[in-house]
Amino acid sequence: MKSSRLTLVGLLLAYGVIPLTLGQNNYVMSLIIASLVIGGVALAWALLGNMGGMVSFGHSAFFGVGAYVSAILAMKAGVPVALAMVLGGVGAFAASLVMLPVLRLRGPYFALAILAYAHIFKIVATEWESVTGGAGGLASVPRFPVLFGFDLGSKLGSYLIILSVVLIFVVAYKWIRSSYYGLALRAMHDSEDATRVVGVNSTLLKALMLFVSAFMTGVVGAFNVHYINFLEPDYAFNGLWVTLPIVAAIFGGYRTILGPLIGAVTVYLVDQLIFKNLIPNGHQLILGALLVAMIILSPGGLLPLLRQRKRSQHHAAS
Amino acid sequence: MLELIAQALYSGVLQGGSYALIALGLALVFGTMSVINLAHGELVLLAAYIAYTVESRLGVNPVLAIPLAMGVVCLSAMLVYALISLIRNDREINTLILTYGIGIILTNGVLLLWGADIHTTSSAWLQDAVVVGPLYSMHSELLFFVVSVVLMAGLWWWLSRSWYGRAVRAVSSNRDAAKLMGINPRLTEIISFAVAGLLAAFAGVALYSYGVIQPSYGHVLTVKAFIITVLAGIGSIPGVLVGALLLGITESLTVTLASSALQELAGMTLFLLVLFVMPNGLFGAARRRG
Repeated sequence: MKSSRLTLVGLLLAYGVIPLTLGQNNYVMSLIIASLVIGGVALAWALLGNMGGMVSFGHSAFFGVGAYVSAILAMKAGVPVALAMVLGGVGAFAASLVMLPVLRLRGPYFALAILAYAHIFKIVATEWESVTGGAGGLASVPRFPVLFGFDLGSKLGSYLIILSVVLIFVVAYKWIRSSYYGLALRAMHDSEDATRVVGVNSTLLKALMLFVSAFMTGVVGAFNVHYINFLEPDYAFNGLWVTLPIVAAIFGGYRTILGPLIGAVTVYLVDQLIFKNLIPNGHQLILGALLVAMIILSPGGLLPLLRQRKRSQHHAAS
Repeated sequence: MLELIAQALYSGVLQGGSYALIALGLALVFGTMSVINLAHGELVLLAAYIAYTVESRLGVNPVLAIPLAMGVVCLSAMLVYALISLIRNDREINTLILTYGIGIILTNGVLLLWGADIHTTSSAWLQDAVVVGPLYSMHSELLFFVVSVVLMAGLWWWLSRSWYGRAVRAVSSNRDAAKLMGINPRLTEIISFAVAGLLAAFAGVALYSYGVIQPSYGHVLTVKAFIITVLAGIGSIPGVLVGALLLGITESLTVTLASSALQELAGMTLFLLVLFVMPNGLFGAARRRG
């Protein structure tokens, strides 16, 4: 009862209050949009980490592939932007098919093998000039269209698009977690061997999580390219598309669904509004320190920590 | 053509020697603690920047910065160990993220202290050419190749002959049994981190002597070091040398025969191939990775 009312308030705030109060402030809106982009990737990263038990340092691969596929389809084949965005996600999914052998690896091997793929994709994007425009990149990528007189390419329109995309991800994530797959994956987290013995195909499940995570990241990458209308390999495959989501997911708590999102919005806004003014060059130092502090003090993230505090206060009161 | 290939092989071997120096510390810590220190490349880069500072401030040969670099990097490595030992649960995943965070701190710290400019040594002697028959190299490349081989031999001797080295290997193969034999596992782990720091200091000064440095380069070094560790197989010192030579030669042949843009691609492909086909590396003892 209480949680559904909270959801309603949250939705009202996101779709009503924020657009009405801040909608005309382009600077703030662009910060919020960027934080939601990070949040979308953080959510996809956390899904793989939480459900699949895999830490990836190569999610920029999916972000970049999604962006390139969507931009090229929209520019060269005239595919409508909305469809191109979905196909960008499909492209990232296809990229994850190439990565299937990494599922046999564990821990650091998995994390760095996926990073190797990200490097390889970046080199392909740089060298395959006839299609990708090479290191110079692609300029004037089509923007979001005007629909019923409302410009979806404006800051407000883009905000509503990425907000909706991220919320759809949240619902999908919830559904996966409560489904049969979620149960099996949670069991796998406790003991992979025991789960396999009762007839769960663990490799298949891990592959599914990789596909979902790749698709989500690809769609976010595709959104981003139509939003900023420009693309180059160094930007599309930048390590920042992994670093920021990891900090966000760890900060918010990567085993929760809303943690990565709330973490992304908090961390990104604080970083841009405060840290960047304190240290213009190298402000990510604080993000690194935050990551280290979180892992040592509260590896489960801030959200579960707060909830725990609250619960123990309740106990103390009663 | 033949001369070109001979030169490429020669350069690759020399480059491999320096790569081995970079990878040794990472491989040592991975072997003893099963911990991948993702900040290792940044530690190497820190040593390189110390060499730069010593050269530009005091106007002496950067090689003389080795003692200072050893002190600073060794302390930093032990600090990394102290942070890792604070991790309570889910050690495998959390050390990865923790050291990744330390890497971000170091990269941006270097950026803050030294700026984003790229630097290279101004010592003419280090950059002068040495001619061996038809083959060319710089003084610095040859010098640090020799240093690398000597250090590797020293490390091998230390691990197989000295008491502390044996303790390190004992802890890595069975921590509890080593404890029963009166070995303090924490002390040996600290020592292996300290030795990794010493090696990183040499690697960093070497890097500054023959190449260019910039703040974002630390991450690249970590990846290269990890590739070599995988090629070598866990816990094999000769494997590190062979893996490093293989990577150096592959890269220099790619640059010579194809294009310098594909250099990184060759390394990554080699890495993935070995991971998928020979998961225990070239010299590793059979150990499960998947």
